[in-house]
Amino acid sequence: MKRKQLRFLVPAVFMLGWMVLGMAATAPAAVVIADLENALMCQCDDECGKVLVNCTCDTAKETRADFRKKLESGLTVDQVIQVYVDKYGETVLSAPTKSGFNLTAWLTPFAAIVGGGLGIRKIVRAWLRKNRTPFSPAHKKEGDTPPTAPGRFSKQLQDELEQIEL
Amino acid sequence: MNQIGEFSLFLALATAVYGLVCYAMAVKGNRIDLYLSADKTPLIVWGCVVISSAILLRAFLINDFSLEYVWAYSNKELDIFYKISSFWGGQKGSLLFWTLILTSYTAVVYFQNRKKNLEVFPYALAVLLAITTFFLFLLNFSTNPFEVLPLPPEDGRGLNPLLQNYWMVIHPPTLYLGYVGFTIPFAFAVGALLTKNLDDGWIRLTRKWTLVSWFFLCMGNLFGAQWAYIELGWGGYWAWDPVENAAFMPLLVATAYLHSVMIQEKKDMMKVWNMSLILLTFVMTIFGTFITRSGLIQSVHTFDEATLGYYFLGFLFVIIAASSALIISRLPLLKSKNELDSFLSRESSFLFNNLVLLGIAFATFWGTIFPIVSEAFRGVKVTVGPPFYNQVNVPIGMTLLFLMGIGPVIAWRKATWSNLKKNFAKPLIAGLVGALLLVGFVPLNSKAEVFAYITFVLCIFVLSTIFGEFYKGTVARRELRKETVAEALGSLVWKNKRRYGGYTVHIGVVLIFAGIAGSSAYSTNVEQHLRIGESLKIKDYTLRYVKLTAVEATNVKTRIIAELEVIKNGRHLWTARPEKEFYKGQNQPVSEVDLYSTWVEDLYVILADFREDESATIKVYVNPMVSWLWRGGLVIAFGTVIAMWPDRQERRRRLERLKKQAAVFAPAQE
Repeated sequence: MKRKQLRFLVPAVFMLGWMVLGMAATAPAAVVIADLENALMCQCDDECGKVLVNCTCDTAKETRADFRKKLESGLTVDQVIQVYVDKYGETVLSAPTKSGFNLTAWLTPFAAIVGGGLGIRKIVRAWLRKNRTPFSPAHKKEGDTPPTAPGRFSKQLQDELEQIEL
Repeated sequence: MNQIGEFSLFLALATAVYGLVCYAMAVKGNRIDLYLSADKTPLIVWGCVVISSAILLRAFLINDFSLEYVWAYSNKELDIFYKISSFWGGQKGSLLFWTLILTSYTAVVYFQNRKKNLEVFPYALAVLLAITTFFLFLLNFSTNPFEVLPLPPEDGRGLNPLLQNYWMVIHPPTLYLGYVGFTIPFAFAVGALLTKNLDDGWIRLTRKWTLVSWFFLCMGNLFGAQWAYIELGWGGYWAWDPVENAAFMPLLVATAYLHSVMIQEKKDMMKVWNMSLILLTFVMTIFGTFITRSGLIQSVHTFDEATLGYYFLGFLFVIIAASSALIISRLPLLKSKNELDSFLSRESSFLFNNLVLLGIAFATFWGTIFPIVSEAFRGVKVTVGPPFYNQVNVPIGMTLLFLMGIGPVIAWRKATWSNLKKNFAKPLIAGLVGALLLVGFVPLNSKAEVFAYITFVLCIFVLSTIFGEFYKGTVARRELRKETVAEALGSLVWKNKRRYGGYTVHIGVVLIFAGIAGSSAYSTNVEQHLRIGESLKIKDYTLRYVKLTAVEATNVKTRIIAELEVIKNGRHLWTARPEKEFYKGQNQPVSEVDLYSTWVEDLYVILADFREDESATIKVYVNPMVSWLWRGGLVIAFGTVIAMWPDRQERRRRLERLKKQAAVFAPAQE
C-alpha cells in the first residue's frame, strides 16, 4: 500500500474505531425500563427538558408506569419508543437517530477532530521542513563544517533554557 | 432609596461611556489630557455599581416588594441566606451581579497596572469599559432590576425551591467569578493586538487572572454537579443540559490555552493560536450567557424571562468579527520565531492535547446547537441529550486522559528512543500490572464496564507518570543537597510551583476521571413500595422502613420525612431521612435526598412517593466512587493554589534567561 493511501486510511480506521467504541459505550443491553428511560425525554407540561431517567416529576412517574404496561402487553423496547415517536414526534428521543441528516450530528465531531489532526500534522511537517533548510543548524551533519558561533551557542543556549522553569 | 440605585446604574453607564470615549481618543490622538480625564472612570463606574447592588440587596433583606424583581424572587418566609442568593436568582439581578464582578475586576486591574504597563493598559481598560457599557446598557434599558410595581403586594412569590440549597448559593457566584474573569485576559489580548506588543508580555500580565478564572470556572462546574446530585434527586450529577455545556465549553478552551501558552513562553511559538484561544474562551463565556438568556435552546437553567437573545447575539457577532479582523490584520507580526524539532516532543503532545480538548468543546457545542441546525435544515426539532454526549465525548475524553500521561514526561524539542524508554517504561509497566490486577476486581460484563476498566488502567498509567516525576525530582534533590525526603519534596515543589502545581492539578483530574468512570458503569438502583416495618435490599445494604413524619417547617413549607434504618453486614450503619418538601404555590414537591458517602460508594436514598396509609415508595442508588469527583476538585484547588502562589524568583529566572539569550546572540548580530 502506498504511503499516500495510508495517510488517509490510518485516520479513517482510527475514526471508525473511535466511533464504534463510542457507540458501543451505551448500547442497550436488555429489554428493561431503564433503556426506555434513557432513550426518551420527559414530556411534562413544564417542558423540563430532562431525559426521563433524570426526571422525578409526576409525568415521568406516569410515563414509567405506561412503559411497564406496554412492555407487559408484549411490545419490545423499540416498539414502545416508536409509539412515543408517533405520538410526540422525533423530539421525544433523547438523541438524534443514526440515519439521514441526523447522522451529521454523530459524524461531525469526529470528522472535525480527524480534520484538525491532519491539519496539525501538515503544519508540524511544514515546521520541521523549515527547520531543516540549508541555513538552519539542524540541517548540517556533524563533521561537515565546524558550527558557526551562533549555531554552537544556540545549542548551548537551548540546553540551558531547558533547565530553567518559568 | 431604590431611585438612588436606579440613578447609580445610569450614572455608571454615563461614566463608562465617557471613560471609553476618552481612553479611545487618548490612545488614538496621544492626548494625555483625555487620558488623565478618564483616569478615575473605572473606579467611579465600580462605585456606582456597588451602590446599586447594595441597594438591591437591601431591598431583598427588608422585603421591599415594591420592586418587581424582589417580589418575583423572594418572600417574607425566605431564609436570610437565600434572600442574599435571590440577588442572582433571576435574570435582572444576575446581570447586575455579573456587572458587579466585572467592574470589581476592572478596579483591581486598574490598581495593579496604573503605574506600569502603560502601553497596553489604556487599551485594555477601554475594552473592559466597552464590555461594561454593554451590560450597563441592558441593565438601564432592558432588564432594570429597580422596576417598580404600581401596587406593592403584601408578600413575594418566593424563590424557586430547587434554588434553596446551599450549593446553589455558592455555585452561581463561583461560576460567574470564572466566566467574568476571562474578560481580563481577553481585554489585554485585544490591547496587545491593537498596540502590536505581541511578545509574551500580555500573557505574563494576565497569567494569574487566567489561572484564577480557570479555577473558579472549574469549581463552579463541580459545585453545580454537587447541587444537581443532592438536590435534583435522580442519582446523577451531570445531565449535559445546554447550560451545563455552556459552562463546560469555556473551561475546555481555557484548559487548551493554559497548555499551549507554555509553548509560547518556552519557544516563542503559537502566537496566533494562543491569541485565538483566549478570544474563543471569552466568546464561549458570552455564548453561555446567551443560551441562558435567549430562550433559544430549551434548558432547565433558562431564566423565566429569557428575552435578551438578540442583544447577546449582536454582542457575540461584534466580538467575533472584531477579534477575527484584529488577528488577521496582525498575522505577519504573530509569526513564530522558532519551529519544531520533532514530531516526538512535548510541543507536539501539547498540540494534540489542544486538539482533543477543542474536540470535546466542539462536540459539546455541536450537540448544543444541533437542534437549531436540524430545525433550520429539516424543519424538525430534535433533542440532543446525554446519550449523544456520552457516546461522542467518552472516547475523546479517554484519548485526553492518555495524552495527560504523555505530556508531562516527554522531552521538549525532541524525544529520543532512550528518553522515551527512560520516561515511559515504568509507567507502562505500572499500567499493565494495574490492568492485570484490575481484571480480578472489576466486573467486565457490559461495554460500559469495559470502558470504565480502560479508564482505570489509563488513570494508573497517568498517575504513575506524575508520581514518577515527583519521585525523580525528590531523589535528585536528596542526593544533591542531602535533604530529608520531606524537605526535598517540599523544596522541589516550592522551587517549581508552576510545574508541580500543574502536576497536582492533573492528579485531581485523574481522580475525577476515575470517579466518572466508576459511577457511570457500576451504579445500581432499586425502587420499592414499602409499608412500615418492611425492608428492601440493595448490594450489601438492607434498608428497613421505620416511620413517616410530617413537619410544618414554615408557613410556606411542609416537610414529609421518611426514616429508614440502614443495616450492613448485620450491623446498624446509618439512619436515612430522605424527604419531600411541599411549598405553598408550587405544583411539584422538591425531593431532598439523604446520602451516606464513602471513598468506595455512596448510598443515595430518595423518598419517591408516599400514601396516606404511611406506606412509601423508596428509591435507592448505590453509586460507586462519586466522592472521587469532589475529592478530585479539592486536589485541583490545592494544585491551583500551588501554581498561583507568588514566585519571587520567577522574575529573576526570566531575566537570567533573557540575559543569556542576549549574551549568546549579541556577538553574532554584531
